[in-house]
Order: sequence, then structure tokens, then C-alpha cells
Amino acid sequence: MAKRIVTDAVLAAVALVLFVIEAQIPPIVPIPGVKLGLANIVTVWALMRIGAPDALGISLIRISLGSLFTGTLPSFIFSLSGGLLAFVAILLMKKLLRENQIFVAGVFGAIFHNAGQLIAAAIVYGTASVFVWSPVLILSGIVTGLFTGLVAQLLTKKIPKTIGQRRN
Amino acid sequence: MIKTRTWIVIIAALVVAAAGAILSIRFFGAPGTTAEIVKGGEVLYTIDLDRVAEEYKIEIGETDGDRNVVTVKPGMICVSSADCPEQICVNTGWASKDHPYPIVCMPHDLVIRIVGTNGEADAEAG
Amino acid sequence: MVKKITAVFFAALISAAFTACGASREYSSDFFAMDTYMSVKTCGTDATGAAEDEARRLETLFSVTDAESEIGRLNANGRVDASDETVELIEKALEISGITDGALDITVYPAVRAWGFTTGEYSVPSPEKIEELRDLIGFTNVKTDGNTVSVPDGYMVDLGAVAKGYLGDRVRDILKNEGVTSAIADLGGSIVTVGGKPDGSPWRVAIRDPNGDGSFGVIEVKDKCVVTSGGYERYFTDEDGVKRWHIIDPATAEPADAGLLSATVIGEDGALCDGLSTALFVMGAEKAEAMWRKEGGFEMILVTITGDVLVTDGIKDSFSLSEGSPYELKVIG
Repeated sequence: MAKRIVTDAVLAAVALVLFVIEAQIPPIVPIPGVKLGLANIVTVWALMRIGAPDALGISLIRISLGSLFTGTLPSFIFSLSGGLLAFVAILLMKKLLRENQIFVAGVFGAIFHNAGQLIAAAIVYGTASVFVWSPVLILSGIVTGLFTGLVAQLLTKKIPKTIGQRRN
Repeated sequence: MIKTRTWIVIIAALVVAAAGAILSIRFFGAPGTTAEIVKGGEVLYTIDLDRVAEEYKIEIGETDGDRNVVTVKPGMICVSSADCPEQICVNTGWASKDHPYPIVCMPHDLVIRIVGTNGEADAEAG
Repeated sequence: MVKKITAVFFAALISAAFTACGASREYSSDFFAMDTYMSVKTCGTDATGAAEDEARRLETLFSVTDAESEIGRLNANGRVDASDETVELIEKALEISGITDGALDITVYPAVRAWGFTTGEYSVPSPEKIEELRDLIGFTNVKTDGNTVSVPDGYMVDLGAVAKGYLGDRVRDILKNEGVTSAIADLGGSIVTVGGKPDGSPWRVAIRDPNGDGSFGVIEVKDKCVVTSGGYERYFTDEDGVKRWHIIDPATAEPADAGLLSATVIGEDGALCDGLSTALFVMGAEKAEAMWRKEGGFEMILVTITGDVLVTDGIKDSFSLSEGSPYELKVIG
């Protein structure tokens, strides 16, 4: 039990650090929501290797603390919405994917993350005009998701199966 | 189980579709609701309200007694605060495609007008 | 599937690309005049410059804050030899005062000043001051003899309640003379139209919601003026928490308090619509309805304090309440 808490905490910390570091880098493109999403590497890996409940917990901790450190209330809502939708998407994909296809989870996770953010923005601002950004965010989601997904896939290969595995 | 190759094809198709959509928007022009912030007769900012994804503020005016703060949200714009005595600009509220009412601060020679829209109304009486 | 979605996307984009004039070329110009912001849009022919010129010309005649204008000199000297337009407008205003029992009164200006609405330094005048002011208000004391206008000592005339509507009439005539068949102008909130849109459909004019942002409904018009009066733009809250606005009841020299939040008049005569909208706001729903039945010649939309939107019979098919509006629509027939 303690091992589980420690593992999850470490992972949450790693995700948080990645998130905060990424927040310091000025955006490549002036469109809100387009970012690498490095913290998702941890989420994808955790979901694939450890399991849904832990991955969810790690993700939620990262989103909450991350927004506390770097964001505003609206951005917290967007992050939460995006994070949850992405989580559900990857969870569903887990059934369909083999170990060497994890990068696909990264792609769809990123796409759904952006979709979740757009939907939240539309609700918060009460207008559908934000959906004009959909094609751009799908494209950037594919690109960044590919990157984070491949990294996560690499890590699943490299990190020994004993880490994170729960004994039961 | 779906083959890795199939996944790659799916992702590639999405890339093409998204790229196609982006190019079309550039080519045909997105539905336009543009707000122009005009000070002293000069257009300071032209904002495509439909392209706004997050709320932000613009401060207008360099000297005390000439300040207006404009808030821009997706599809809408307003003067959120000002240091003019009558506050008519602030009382006007949000302008948008469906409410193309010009927001005016006469003492500061500032007008925010909505142009080029075919929203619900052509003008607003008030 | 994705391809289908993108196709629908394009279609929506293209159809939304047209402007108010549709396929015709749109000409527009906007400017400050008569202490307010004005914007003129003509379709097919450019005549916006002429509209602006007329606005400035009338301003030199009517402006109450300009000591050199005809009204300025009238107020300073008690009399003035005025141009035809000034006399015409004053006589129109007096006519409206007559049929509304003084609800519109162009001599109400000293009260507007006393309450601070001309400077922004709002304050509630003392009861003594208000008594004084009542003695300085009385449209029957404005005399016109040919082109000479005269008022008693201490009186001040302000054509603000009718000038923009009058300008609307002039602008409409000028535009028509220039061959314009489709135009819409926003003269400080008073809307005047020439014809309908180039494709034959009517102009859609939204009406400001006195209770908040945006508008509460849209009226479709062709060749008509739409003028709204309401206290929601210039007001202050006094010590007792009561909202006091700039539309003064000439009978009491205090802000009008007849149960209306806004009054909109639709008709062909701009000066009439402008003056009537102020008068109706002062009169309240009951008297307004009685006047409408008696006089006719216009349609109206009233928003009451109790949340009703009263619409006259003649426009019940061209007015539509906004979706999700909290107001209750009632037709006066």
C-alpha cells in the first residue's frame, strides 16, 4: 500500500514538474491550448502500465496543483475538462491497443484534451464561435500527441515492469 | 486488434481533413464579426471577435482622465471600466454580432464599433 | 465521415460571409455630431458624406451648448431670428407638446442642468430649487412669429429630444435625392431607414434592453424611423437608492416616474417619433395607450417596470421578442 502511494506521488510530482516547466516556455504559436502537453506522457504511461484509478488520481492532482501554481479559474476549468475527456478517451483506447501502439493513445488523448478545452470554453463564454479553432487544435493535437505518445511508449519499454506493478 | 498500419492511416486522414479545413478558412474567410477600437478617429485595434479563444483586456489612454479598459471575450466586447464622469460607455454593456450597438465614450473620443456582420440585427435603437 | 463534416463546415462559412447590404456594395461612414456618435450605411450608392454634412450643419443651428448657435443665442437673449429649419422644428415640438399635454417640453432644460445631467456632477436639487424650476418650464410660453422665436426671462430651450429625429428626416430626404434606395443610419441611437435592404427584405432593428446588456427584440421596418427613449444610459443613484435618470417630467421638474423603462416609437416622421418617444416615457403606459388610440399615425413598443412589453396592433407581426426573453409580450389592439 505504501509502495503504491509513494509511486503515485512520485509520478504526480514528475507530471507537475513537467507541467510547470512547460508553462514557463513562451508559447510557440499564439493560440491558447496549443502546447506540447509533456505532463501527458506521465498520464499515458501510468494508464498503460499501472491502471486507471491511479492514473486518474495522478492526473487530477497534476491539474489541480498545476492550475494553482500557474493558472486562473477559467484555465483550471479548461484543463480539468480537457484532462477528463482525454482520460476517458485513452481508457477506451487501452482495449484496442497493443504495447507498440501506445503512441496512438497519445494522439487521441491530445485530440480529446483539446476538444474538452474547446467545449469548456464554449460553455464558459456562452458562444460557439470558439469552435472555429477545431481544425487547428486537431492538427496540433495530432502532432503533440504523437510526440508525447511515442515518449510514453518508449518509457514502457525501458522502465522495468516491476515498477508501478501492484502485487495481487 | 487493429493493425498499427491502420492506425497510421486513420491519423493521416485526420491530418489531411484538419489541414483542408484550415486552408478553406483562410481562403474563404471565416464568418466575420469584427470590432474596431477607434480613438481620436484613428483605428487602434481591429479584432476578429470570432477568433477570440480566451478573455483578455486592453488598456486605452495614456493619461489619467483619459483611460478606458476594454474587455474582449469570444464574440463580445465591452468597456469594463473607465475614468470618465458619466460612465455611459461602461453602462452600455457588451456589444457583439447580435447586438451591434456602438460603445461610445465621448469625453475620451473613443468608439468601439462592430463592423461587417450579418448578425440578427442591422442596427440597434436605444 | 470527417470529410462530410468538413464539407458542411465550408458551406456554413461561405453563406455567412455576406454583409448587411448583401450582394450590393456597402458604403458607410461614422462620425461624432450633436453630442453623440452617428453611423450611416448606404447600399449601392455612396452618399454618406452628404449625411454627415447635414448633421454638422444642423448642429450649428441647434446645439444648446454652443453659445453661437441659434438656440444658444435664444437662451442667452430671450429671442432670436432663426432659420427655417429651427422654426420648423420648434413648431413641430410645440405641436407634440400640445397633443401630449406637455409631456414633451423643450423648455425643460434648466431642470436637466439642475440635476447635473449636463456636467456629470449629479445631485438632487432642494425642494425650493425644484419649485423654482417648475416656474421656468412651460412650452406655451415659447412664441414664434414668422422667423422670430422668443421665450420669457430665465427660460432655456433645448431641442435635444427632437433634433436627432429631425436630422433623420433630413438625411432620408438627402439620401433619396442622391438616388439612394436602400440605407440605414444610426443617429445617436435614433434609427432611420430608406427603403429596405437591396434584396427587398426589411431592415432588422434591434431594441436596447433597458434591464441589461443587448436587446430584447427586433422590429422589421422599411422606410420608417425607430426611436427609443429610456433612462438607462444617463442616470445616477441617489442617497435613498433610487435611480434618477435624465428624462425629466416637465410637470414636476423631477425625473419621470410613470412606470416605464423604455418607450420606442416607429413611424415615418422622424421628429415626431423622437419627440413622442420622450413624451410617452414621461406619460406612462395608460396615457400612452390613450394617446395612441386618439391620434394614431405611429406605432409603439413600451417596456414597463413590471416586465411587460406592450406592442401596438400595427406592428405585432413585424416585431419579435428575443428567444428566452423574460418579458411578457402584450398586444394593444
